[in-house]
Amino acid sequence: MQYAAAEQAWYKPTAAMAESAVARVERLASESAVVVFSVSSCCMCHAVKRLFCGMGVHPTVHELDLDPRGRELERALARLLGYGHAGAPVVPVVFIGGKLVGAMDRVMAAHINGSLVPLLKEAGALWL
Amino acid sequence: MVQGEESSWRMASAHERVALPFNQALAYGVQAHAAAAAAPPACFLDFQPAAAAAAYFGELEEALIHGGASASVDPSMIKSDVQTKSAGYLAARPPTLEIFPSWPMRHQQQLHSGNSQSVGSTPDSSSAQNTMSQMELVSPASSAQRQEVMMVTTDDYSYKPGLAAAAAPPPPGPAAAPSFQQQPMQLHGGVHDKRKHGSTRKDGKLVDTKTERRLAQNREAARKSRLRKKAYVQQLETSRIRLQQVEHELQRARSQGLFVGGCSAAGDMSSGAAMFDMEYARWLDDDSKRLAELRGGLQAHLLDGNLGLIVEECMHHYDELFQLKAALARSDVFHLLTGTWATHAERCFFWMGGFRPSELLKILIPQLDPLTEQQLLGIYNLQQSSEQAEEALAQGLHQLHQCLADTVAAGTLNDGAAAANYMSLMAVALEKLGSLESFYQQADNLRQQTLHQMRRILTTRQAARCFLSIGEYYRRLRALSNLWASRPRENFIGTESLSPTATELQVMHQQQQNQFSGF
Repeated sequence: MQYAAAEQAWYKPTAAMAESAVARVERLASESAVVVFSVSSCCMCHAVKRLFCGMGVHPTVHELDLDPRGRELERALARLLGYGHAGAPVVPVVFIGGKLVGAMDRVMAAHINGSLVPLLKEAGALWL
Repeated sequence: MVQGEESSWRMASAHERVALPFNQALAYGVQAHAAAAAAPPACFLDFQPAAAAAAYFGELEEALIHGGASASVDPSMIKSDVQTKSAGYLAARPPTLEIFPSWPMRHQQQLHSGNSQSVGSTPDSSSAQNTMSQMELVSPASSAQRQEVMMVTTDDYSYKPGLAAAAAPPPPGPAAAPSFQQQPMQLHGGVHDKRKHGSTRKDGKLVDTKTERRLAQNREAARKSRLRKKAYVQQLETSRIRLQQVEHELQRARSQGLFVGGCSAAGDMSSGAAMFDMEYARWLDDDSKRLAELRGGLQAHLLDGNLGLIVEECMHHYDELFQLKAALARSDVFHLLTGTWATHAERCFFWMGGFRPSELLKILIPQLDPLTEQQLLGIYNLQQSSEQAEEALAQGLHQLHQCLADTVAAGTLNDGAAAANYMSLMAVALEKLGSLESFYQQADNLRQQTLHQMRRILTTRQAARCFLSIGEYYRRLRALSNLWASRPRENFIGTESLSPTATELQVMHQQQQNQFSGF
C-alpha cells in the first residue's frame, strides 16, 4: 500500500505538483502572523524586511532561492498575484495573518493609508 | 606686353615668393579678360562658405596665372613655395574681379603642377592684415592642396604712391579702366590707372625702395599666414582623427555591453528622457492652469461640490505626473534619478527622483490650519508611516548600491577588461541596475499614496488649499532657480548687483501676498 502510494507519489502530474506548491504557500503563510517570501539577493525584499523591523514586527522570511522547491513556490506566488509578465521579480510577497497582502507596492499603499497597522495588530504581530 | 609679364614673373621668382601688388594683378586680370571672354563664370556660382578668402582671391590669382599663361609664360618659372601650395587656376576669369574680402568664392581646382603663388598681404594696414589672416584661417584644407588662400588685402586696393610699380603695359590700362570701374571697389579705378601710368614700372628695372620694402613685407606676411593656416589645418586634422578614434572606441565598448554613461550626457538624451521632458513641460503648463483654477475657486467661495471637482482634477493631474514618471523609470531610470528634468532648486530637495513625502507634509501642516483633532492625528500618522516607508526604501536602495559596488569591484580590478570573469560580472551588474527601476517606482508610488491619503483626510476646501500650497511651493522653487540662474555675477559692484534681484524678489513677494489673501 505504501509502495503504491510512494509510486503514485513519483508519478504525480506537474499540475498537481504546482497545486501542491500553492497549497504549500498557503500552509507556510498561515504558520506565522507575518510571512514574507523573499530572495536573499533581492534588495526590495531587504527593504520590506527593514520596513517591518522598523515597525517592530518580526516577520517569518522564506528565502526562495535557498529552498529546493523555490521555483515552484515562485510560480505559485506569481499565479496568486496575477502576474502576467515573466522576468519581473515576484518577490517580495507578504502575507499577514494568513491573508495575502501583496507585493511591495501594496504593502506600502496599505501602510500609507493606515490599514497595515490594524492588520498587524489583528494578526497579533504588533502590540501597542 | 608679354615681355613685361615675363620679366615681372622672373623678378618675383627671384625672391622665391611671388608677391604681386594688386595693380599688377589687375593688369593681368585685364589681359586675362581679353583672352578669356568665353570663360565660364561658373566659379562665381560655385560657392562654398568655407573657402571664404581663398575662393575670393583665387579669382584674382587665376586671373594672374591666366594672364601669365596667355603670355605663354612657363608656370614653372614661378618658384613654388616651400610649402608647395599649388594654386588651382582654371581657364580664364570673367572680367569683373570681385576682390572684396567679404565675398567668398570658391575658385576652381585645377592643378597647375608646381605652380604656387601667393599674393602677399600688405602689412600696410594692420586691420587689413587681420582680415587676411582670418580669411586665410577660415579656408579649409581640402584633400588636394588645390586651394590657395589669396591674401590680397583691401589695402592692396588702396594705391599708395610709389606702390604702383605696375608692370602693367599701358595699352590695356585705359581699356581696363572702364571695365573695372563697374565694380564697387573701383573707386580707385581711375586713380589706379593714373598711377599705373605715372608711376615707376615694376619690370625689374625701376623698383624704388618703398616698393621693394612693401613687397618684402608682403611676402613675409604671406609666409606667416601660410604657416598659420598650415598649423590650423593640422590641428583640425588631428582632432578629426582623434574624434574618429574615440567614436570607434565608444562603439566597441558599447558592443561589449558596457554602458558608457559619461557620453550620454547632455548631448544625446535617450528618447524616453526627451519624451518625458516634453511631457513634463506640458504638465507644468497645465499645473499653472490648475493653480489658477484652485485660487479662483477658493476666492470665489465655491460650493464644495464644484470645488471638489476642481480638486479631483488636481488629483488626476498629479496621477498623470506619476504615470509619466513611471514610464520614464521603465525607459530611462537614470534620467529620472539624476533629476535633470527638474530645476536646480527643486533638485536640492530631491529624494529618490522627486519630493520627499514626509518633508512635504511638514511644509503643508502649518498651511492647513485649522485642523480638527482627528485630522491632525491622521496627518501625524501619515507622516510617521511615510517616514518609515521612506526609511525602508532608502535602506533597500543602499543595499542595492552596496551590491552593485561589490559586483563591479569583484575580482581583481587591476586586470582591467581582461579579468577572468569580466563579462559575467558585467552581466550581474546589469541585472542589479535593472532593479533600480523598481525602487524609483516604489518611491513615486509612495508619493502618490501620500497625496491620496491627504485628500482623504482633508475636507474639500482644505484639500484645495493643500494642492494650491503644493503647487505654489514648487512654483516658487522653480522661480528661485530662474532667479539664481540669471543673477548678476559681478560681486564688486556690490549693491548695484543686488538691486535687480531685490526688486524682483519684492515683486514676487507682492504677488505671493496677493495670492494668499483669500485664505
